Amino acid sequence: MSGLGPQYPTEKPDHPYVQFSNSGYLFGKYNSLFCAGCGYGIIGHLFTRVFEDEKLDPKLFPLIIGIGCYTQLVTLVHHASQKIFTLHGRSPAIATGMKMANPKLKPIIFTGDGDCLGIGGNHFIHICRRNLDCAMLIFNNSIYGMTGGQGAPTTLYGAKSTTTPYKAFENRSDAIKLALAAGASYIARTTVAHPRTLMKYFKKALNHKGTSVIEVITPCLTYFGSKNLDSLGAENLNIHGSKMDTGGKMIDWIKRNTVRKNQALFMDDAELFNRYIIGEFRYDPEKPEYSEEYAKIQKITNGED
Amino acid sequence: MSTKNSKRYLPEGKHVMMGNIAMSEGALAAGLNFFGGYPITPSTEVIEHLAKRLPEIGGSCIQMEDELGSINAVVGASLAGAKAMTATSGPGLSLMVETISMAANLEIPFVLCDVQRVGPGSHGPVTSPHHNDLGLIRFAGHGEFQVIALAPMNCQELFDLTITAFNFAEIYRCPVFIISDAYLGHLHEPIYIPPKEELIRRVINRELPQDYTYKYSYKDEITGKYIIPKPPIVGTDYYPPISLHLPHNNTGFPITNALTFMEMLIEKIKSNIDKISITEEYKLEDADIIIIAYGLPVRASYRAVDLAREKGIKVGVYRLITVWPFPDEKLKRVVKNAKAIIIPELNYTGFIAEQVERVKKLETPIFKIPKVGVFHHPDDILNVIKEVSK
Repeated sequence: MSGLGPQYPTEKPDHPYVQFSNSGYLFGKYNSLFCAGCGYGIIGHLFTRVFEDEKLDPKLFPLIIGIGCYTQLVTLVHHASQKIFTLHGRSPAIATGMKMANPKLKPIIFTGDGDCLGIGGNHFIHICRRNLDCAMLIFNNSIYGMTGGQGAPTTLYGAKSTTTPYKAFENRSDAIKLALAAGASYIARTTVAHPRTLMKYFKKALNHKGTSVIEVITPCLTYFGSKNLDSLGAENLNIHGSKMDTGGKMIDWIKRNTVRKNQALFMDDAELFNRYIIGEFRYDPEKPEYSEEYAKIQKITNGED
Repeated sequence: MSTKNSKRYLPEGKHVMMGNIAMSEGALAAGLNFFGGYPITPSTEVIEHLAKRLPEIGGSCIQMEDELGSINAVVGASLAGAKAMTATSGPGLSLMVETISMAANLEIPFVLCDVQRVGPGSHGPVTSPHHNDLGLIRFAGHGEFQVIALAPMNCQELFDLTITAFNFAEIYRCPVFIISDAYLGHLHEPIYIPPKEELIRRVINRELPQDYTYKYSYKDEITGKYIIPKPPIVGTDYYPPISLHLPHNNTGFPITNALTFMEMLIEKIKSNIDKISITEEYKLEDADIIIIAYGLPVRASYRAVDLAREKGIKVGVYRLITVWPFPDEKLKRVVKNAKAIIIPELNYTGFIAEQVERVKKLETPIFKIPKVGVFHHPDDILNVIKEVSK
């Protein structure tokens, strides 16, 4: 029955951005090291896309990567970007040194929920407090994926992990509230289910002078999805959850579990419990930036020269 | 990043200054651009002084949130092409070892001044000297690598050896430590600062090589020498396309069988030990009894030797300025004919005594003079010399 219905080419065409990714540049095809259903592929692709579309100068935008599954994003990010691998949680401190040594640079920091809010919590608070010019992406999958599914500071109440085998009962830490209190000047949260919003926020962060914190909610199917039901975050609805065993189901769960900032204004704490509020929380381009303020001091002390 | 600014150098001549400040001025003369620190007694004067001095010359000094932050900022700044250092004391150094280890494996140059003090940290005699971090410095962190540690004994050397330390860091791309302590750091002494031209001549600058293709350190199979290229700089073309953070071969490709990488990290220092190891001999030509010392106890040892020589006892001092890497071969020659070895150290363990134990002849006795929290008085050493020479 040829000639009927849509005709697809027998060979899959190359993705237009494949040549810009690190593995595409080296081997001609995408080479993702992530599990099926992981959200990091989307993030890596979007990063490469923004990097290429905005024609960022790789020499001015070093990419500082923390420790977590997302460290393997190195195969997907733009091949020209200068990548600096750091210790667990220390990426904001490395970025501080780098920015102060060469104020022309604008570090882009990849960090995770355990990296940024667990081991590196102090560095995160203080980079926000200084309002040091950098774009910080926090990937929150509410679990320690790389070490095999342990509970994270962001694990939802009632969720199961290998170190919370019955249920997690600790209060979870909220990167956005922490950044708001610490004083970052651009703060937003989105999910990998909203890729265009993520790109928009990321571009805004690149053009913003000051600490930009973007929290990205991303699924971990292998360790979070397989252990938990999609009734998480819908406790007050009293529904019977089903297993999240495919990437699609996890994306659906993320979408259902997020509340827009405007909607959240009309919801009480019980309704917002275990859910993510997405949107932009602060945009303050006027706030003094650390390296600029330091340059003023240098100018004063330099006297005549 | 220029060293042209005239405020960088103090005017030529004699200055009276505190040890910590002499060290800071030495660092500035060596081209320091970035200091990341966290206040800790007895090293606090360093960050206080540099917070004032670094903005004047277009550099930056930042007080980080903790020692973990300060050492990481130093590593970040060094990667961005600045000459960077930090200063701390024992408890701070304990927090820093994670990053020191990473920096050594990534071959990121930096200088760390350890102003050592007594005690575990919470309270107490923190302004007393105690050379208790020698072991920590030697094996500072997880993983295998070698560090360089220099031990000055007066304010003049704090100035001069800091310049040497920065040069070593640039050449060998490894963490370089300055072993100071609470008394030395707070000692006020006159120092001579050479003219600007002389200082500029002494310093090895951080600069880009002629050829921009990035090369990794490796062993040249033909000559057997270790080739250490200039450190990479973020924000220039001179940065590796494949990152440094994994054990890699000479093309930068990550390798699982990392023996050659570890060999390179360790042998690049050990094979250059003749250039790195700085030592000083004092009345050693005909000495039967040899005092081996580093840091502050050297001063008391020199005096004790003078007094003993007046009494006709043949005694001399072998002084280690470079403590790590330990100069095994040099020392073997020195202690070969010794009748006895005296080691005054400002700790009980005897970190250097342990090393001397390895290289000395079996029958040569070692007499340790441990002190913690207080100076060695020349008489303390003289009494032992008299005992030994009986």
